[in-house]
Amino acid sequence: MIKKFIHQFASPKTYLFQVTRAYPYIFVISILIYIISIFWGLFLTPEDFVQGNSYRIIYLHVPASFISQALYGGMAIASAIFLIWKVKLSAYLVKSIAPIGAMTTFIALISGSIWGIPTWGTWWAWDARIVSTLILFIMYLGLISLHDSFANYEKADKFLAVLVLVGSVNIPIIKMSVEWWSTLHQSASITISDKPTIDPSMLYPLFGSMIGFTGIVVCLVILSSKLHIFVREKNKSWIKDYV
Amino acid sequence: MSKFAFNSISEAFTMQSLNGQNHGLYVWSVLAIVFFTLLITFLVYKYKLKKISKKIK
Amino acid sequence: MKIFYFEFLKLRKKSRGWIGPILVFVLIMTAFPLTVEFLNEDLDQAFFSVLWIALMLVMMLATEDIFLEDYNDGSLEQLALKNQSLALILGTKIFIYWMLIGVPISFIGSFYGFGITRSFDLGLNILPILLVTSYIFLNVFSFGNALSLTKGSVLGTLITMPLVLPLLVVLGKVVISINIGLNYFGFLALLLGILSIIIVVIPLIISFIIRAHLE
Repeated sequence: MIKKFIHQFASPKTYLFQVTRAYPYIFVISILIYIISIFWGLFLTPEDFVQGNSYRIIYLHVPASFISQALYGGMAIASAIFLIWKVKLSAYLVKSIAPIGAMTTFIALISGSIWGIPTWGTWWAWDARIVSTLILFIMYLGLISLHDSFANYEKADKFLAVLVLVGSVNIPIIKMSVEWWSTLHQSASITISDKPTIDPSMLYPLFGSMIGFTGIVVCLVILSSKLHIFVREKNKSWIKDYV
Repeated sequence: MSKFAFNSISEAFTMQSLNGQNHGLYVWSVLAIVFFTLLITFLVYKYKLKKISKKIK
Repeated sequence: MKIFYFEFLKLRKKSRGWIGPILVFVLIMTAFPLTVEFLNEDLDQAFFSVLWIALMLVMMLATEDIFLEDYNDGSLEQLALKNQSLALILGTKIFIYWMLIGVPISFIGSFYGFGITRSFDLGLNILPILLVTSYIFLNVFSFGNALSLTKGSVLGTLITMPLVLPLLVVLGKVVISINIGLNYFGFLALLLGILSIIIVVIPLIISFIIRAHLE
């Protein structure tokens, strides 16, 4: 039953239809939430006692680094679906998430290294989380170049899915090992299990900016997957309704 | 919501901290980088979609 | 067993395939003291970093065309069509590569360790580590080169090198514990554990990839 449901719902045509309908709403709402929470975070929250005003970068840095890892998780789920049920759409999604993931990881790296100048006195440190983010960035680039180097899309999809799955097993190991190796980074401000170590007045805009940024990234993924569907299904007749 | 952290626009621009350092440069440059990266990505995808739409038509 | 012998002969005949990487390893290990001043005390500090990186690079070079020639002359296709498990054959192939390339390099590496740090114990201590690590590297890089089968080994390296970075962290910890004189068998057990997982999983994944290539 699951198989039937997935195959019915996840045809590129249905996906394109639903996504084109939802895109403007997601775009406007998430941009609004993002701008409001950034404004709130930059101007309306009190100054941090230890880090001074530079802590305000958190509202830009944390959403990006959160999304960069979440996107990899999304890719892993999509590749598993592709390999198990042979759903074409999830292969398209894996391919179209990769560049967006690289972009968000890039934002996380750059914003983090700028944040490091006032806080740690250096823009780069051989610290666990920074290094694992850099590795994640390189992995995204590797995934993109793997898919690009095969002219045969069906083959490329399969290889990409395999590599994403192997990488998803490996990413926690990389994180653990580099943490074992050295750590300077402040521990995460928000974790699922513990109470957050951040004041509520600073926390709400942070959640807001995370939700807003997620929405923006979803919009980008929609655009990117639309592009990829156009490339792959350009000979189908129904595609003319969406161009 | 709490009250404004800065009294004037110029104060918000320099973002002087309790320890006397100006952090405005860092915050604003990060904001600019995030904004422009997102903008460029959006524009690139819009452009590519336009190109391929023309091709399909 | 027949496959074992057959693969062994094939690799032994292709001398560029197995002597080449060993010689490159020797060259790197000989070249690196030239970058440090003669009789410098720091030599043995840098030694281990160079050793691990050289090991990694050479294993990468060694697996560069591990499946390529078989793929080009069609014998891989024949193997895939046979009833016998393809994964088992691929695992054997990697094992032979380790026998002919990984084992000699491990001995040479521990010999260099003895030569450069002038401590016999140390050379002997890193030998099992080198043996296990080279096998892990061979497995992982064959996976990468199976993915980028017809596209050159740069791509394979790019996508698999991030995956082996945790191993380098473990190796760094091993060196520290050897230098302080701590017991390093825990690390050896950890490496063996990693190896036992990889040795089972990687041939299965590679056989899946190879079948996809042959489609």
